[in-house]
Amino acid sequence: MGIVFTRLFSSVFGNREARILVLGLDNAGKTTILYRLQMGEVVSTIPTIGFNVETVQYNNIKFQVWDLGGQTSIRPYWRCYFPNTQAIIYVVDSSDTDRLVTAKEEFHSILEEDELKGAVVLVYANKQDLPGALDDAAITESLELHKIKSRQWAIFKTSAIKGEGLFEGLDWLSNALKSGSS
Amino acid sequence: MSGHDSKYFSTTKKGEIPELKEELNSQYKDKRKDAVKKVIAAMTVGKDVSSLFTDVVNCMQTENLELKKLVYLYLINYAKSQPDLAILAVNTFVKDSQDPNPLIRALAVRTMGCIRVDKITEYLCDPLQRCLKDDDPYVRKTAAICVAKLYDINAELVEDRGFLEALKDLISDNNPMVVANAVAALAEIQESSVRPIFEITSHTLTKLLTALNECTEWGQVFILDSLSRYKATDARDAENIVERVTPRLQHANCAVVLSAVKIILLQMELITSTDVVRNLCKKMAPPLVTLLSAEPEIQYVALRNINLIVQKRPTILAHEIKVFFCKYNDPIYVKMEKLEIMIKLASDRNIDQVLLEFKEYATEVDVDFVRKAVRAIGRCAIKLDRAAERCISVLLELIKIKVNYVVQEAIIVIKDIFRRYPNTYESIIATLCESLDNLDEPEAKASMIWIIGEYAERIDNADELLESFLETFPEEPALVQLQLLTATVKLFLKKPTEGPQQMIQAVLNNATVETDNPDLRDRAYIYWRLLSTDPEAAKDVVLAEKPVISDDSNQLDPSLLDELLANISTLSSVYHKPPEAFVSRVKAAPRADDEEFADAGETGYSESPSQGVDGSSPSSSAGTSSHVPAKQPAAAAPAAPAPIPDLLGDLMGLDNALVPVDEPTATSGPPLPVVLPSTTGQGLQISAQLVRRDGQIFYDISFENGTQGVLDGFMIQFNKNTFGLAAGGPLQVPPLQPGDSSRTLLPMVFSQNVSTGAPNSLLQVAVKNNQQPVWYFNDKGSLHVFFGEDGKMERTSFLEAWKSLPDDNEFSKEFPNSVINSIDATIEHLSASNVFFIAKRRNANMDVLYLSAKIPRGIPFLIELTAAVGVPGAKCAVKTPNREYVPLFFEAMEPLIK
Repeated sequence: MGIVFTRLFSSVFGNREARILVLGLDNAGKTTILYRLQMGEVVSTIPTIGFNVETVQYNNIKFQVWDLGGQTSIRPYWRCYFPNTQAIIYVVDSSDTDRLVTAKEEFHSILEEDELKGAVVLVYANKQDLPGALDDAAITESLELHKIKSRQWAIFKTSAIKGEGLFEGLDWLSNALKSGSS
Repeated sequence: MSGHDSKYFSTTKKGEIPELKEELNSQYKDKRKDAVKKVIAAMTVGKDVSSLFTDVVNCMQTENLELKKLVYLYLINYAKSQPDLAILAVNTFVKDSQDPNPLIRALAVRTMGCIRVDKITEYLCDPLQRCLKDDDPYVRKTAAICVAKLYDINAELVEDRGFLEALKDLISDNNPMVVANAVAALAEIQESSVRPIFEITSHTLTKLLTALNECTEWGQVFILDSLSRYKATDARDAENIVERVTPRLQHANCAVVLSAVKIILLQMELITSTDVVRNLCKKMAPPLVTLLSAEPEIQYVALRNINLIVQKRPTILAHEIKVFFCKYNDPIYVKMEKLEIMIKLASDRNIDQVLLEFKEYATEVDVDFVRKAVRAIGRCAIKLDRAAERCISVLLELIKIKVNYVVQEAIIVIKDIFRRYPNTYESIIATLCESLDNLDEPEAKASMIWIIGEYAERIDNADELLESFLETFPEEPALVQLQLLTATVKLFLKKPTEGPQQMIQAVLNNATVETDNPDLRDRAYIYWRLLSTDPEAAKDVVLAEKPVISDDSNQLDPSLLDELLANISTLSSVYHKPPEAFVSRVKAAPRADDEEFADAGETGYSESPSQGVDGSSPSSSAGTSSHVPAKQPAAAAPAAPAPIPDLLGDLMGLDNALVPVDEPTATSGPPLPVVLPSTTGQGLQISAQLVRRDGQIFYDISFENGTQGVLDGFMIQFNKNTFGLAAGGPLQVPPLQPGDSSRTLLPMVFSQNVSTGAPNSLLQVAVKNNQQPVWYFNDKGSLHVFFGEDGKMERTSFLEAWKSLPDDNEFSKEFPNSVINSIDATIEHLSASNVFFIAKRRNANMDVLYLSAKIPRGIPFLIELTAAVGVPGAKCAVKTPNREYVPLFFEAMEPLIK
């Protein structure tokens, strides 16, 4: 109910708000991406035990971005944040080929959640600056993204350190959200 | 309540929690803040809002300090009930501990310390480490306290992370508040640790003394209390400390004053110069007096402490007795304490004044206070011999006003005065005797009787007076009875005339034959013996000169007093008890010691058989008892009722000298059957039997060493057998001296080593030791030890099972020698062996019992037992799906029905 109102208001005033979750395995670069998006600079981070939440204004959309810790011990609590989420940014460490299988499993178990049925999915194939990083096609393959049928998704090659690809992703996301809600 | 009426019970459709949840997730900051406020409000009135944990924690990352504080408050309250989810807050703590605002940094570190969840403490160490080195003193001082809190949760972590060193560094901090908190934290950590962690050196001493002048009052208390543990090296050191501490005596905070007094008193011990000491005493008096103008509760605490101070150094307040005079509106507990101190301060110089006060108090309305005042007069009389006469005249005046409890109390103290000043004031006895009839309290009565007995020769009608008491002798309390007994004996010894002689007969009779009180009876018998054998000796004993008493005035033992003085301004000095007496420090007790002790106890036990009990044959049962599992049902006793002569024989026999009465081991049946005779075993005899105890099977085995040497290193092995029985642990047999024996219970387990072929009860055993070859022997285990506790069946399931089994699975056997004398006893006896009674019926003159039993692997036995009570011969029919066990079953049943 609240969300319906929110959308009504935002369409009237032309200013939208969106609640976005940044998920992914530990050391994928979620926190770095969050602060790169918010402040435009690279901050030194430590493993996030818990969460970070920041507001990012982009393309007339106010993104409330929740960056959740990716460690195995914290992943079970992701579900606490699922309700009312419009989009998921799933961050993958493209150079960590060993754990791509785990990343895929976590990814698909998220997609099965009822509470996230309507959420748009944006995948960041992060750490493209590292040697040996797989490209977006390879990541699409390993995450089995083509299996997604019932929702909008996109994948972008990114490097949070260099700041590449992040805003392209957000552009896609804001368009997807606008088209989805209007 | 369902249906339309329910609307009266709820105002909203969703209920409070979902509504709050929605508001907490609102996108509007104000709405979220209001929601958190509502949550906190609900929390404070005791509603459980812990289910909103994640939603509240999600509001934690905010710029709004007010909201942040509220969320922190919520966290402190609910982190314990949601320990898993608490981890979600960690990152915010980490962030907040790096916030540019020092208030937020401090808030984060303070809250972290209050979250006592083991799982997340580890994550909080890094932020804490940072905050201990923060630029802002407010953050540092908060972090210092946090270390102490963390130490309480995980001491090891604190030590590993070097937080103790960090705290010690903070003592040298340039901010006095930080110093004070570091000291407080270290002192608290020291209290819960056995190792010396916080020791004040001369270097830290200077630091602390400097910080003392600048920090807040409570900081001063922490520093002063820690300083009181510092041992000054010499008189100069001590004087230096005292000089720096003395200004604190002027502080408005009572705690600061008392802590300062504590340090000065402790350091005064070292100061040799009498001038300095006198000066200090003079300086301490005014602040102590000032404490008495505070609220009554604080006055009480001050008075309890002053009570100690006065015992140590009466000079300090010698001239201040007037401030301890009771005001009419003082609460009773303050008055009582003041009286106590007045007695301690009373001297020849001020006694007149004090007596006037006491006399005044003795006419007040509060009975307890009046009594205490009268007692106080008596104690002053005993304490100050030059004032004794004045005290007694005051007492006599009080007796004349004839208030019952005043008179009784006066008599009690006069008895003591008589003892303190023999042959001085006996002239007043006549006055006392006038009030004889009014005495109704035991202590007063006993005192009066003592006076009569003690001065029987001066009281003309002593016998009459005593006789009046004797009439009610049996009803009197023990205290009075004892005094009556003694007084009568004294009277008789002093006036051996006919009257007293009759009295003494009556009293002794009453006190020996009629009474149940052992004290009274014993004393009476002693007197009786004395009087009947040697009356002269009795005189020497009973009328012996008594030592002069002195005033105890509730004096404490000097060593205790010193300990209490070191704890001034703590609960200890208020209770007048050392801290150990009422504070248990669980953490301080090292656990390892307990375990060592337990181990030592066990080895001690198992070795005891070889050491022998009294030098003669060592007890075999002592060895057994140590291996019996801890829980032993007393109900196991009826399993096999041993004939009484046997039991006695066992108890008398040297072998069982240590058998406890309820120890079933040695008494649970006939002696163990010999399985390896000593002729075969080259002197070693082994007796053994399978037994069932408390649901478990044991091999009850006994070794007797008939060889010439020591046998040790016993080991045991079982061959494959029908039930797969195997040893459940090593055989615990101590080294056997020649002639010794040892008996033990070896727990048995069911293993996979099951022999094939027809079931049999054969148990093949191999035993070896270090001195002899391996011995093999066969034992026959009776099936009944395998009957499980779970063998009981319901009537219906029994019937069904009985019907479902084909008739050719039914077997029966006659037990020609079995006699059932009582159905009930048989049922009880059988159920003790896990053969459970299900139903019975009568058929002609026979009783038919239906019973069930079960052996391992779930094999049931359905039993029909037919017998006539008192007639030899019983018929046992059994149905079981596993017919191959039937012979074993009958073999086991027959001895059970005897």
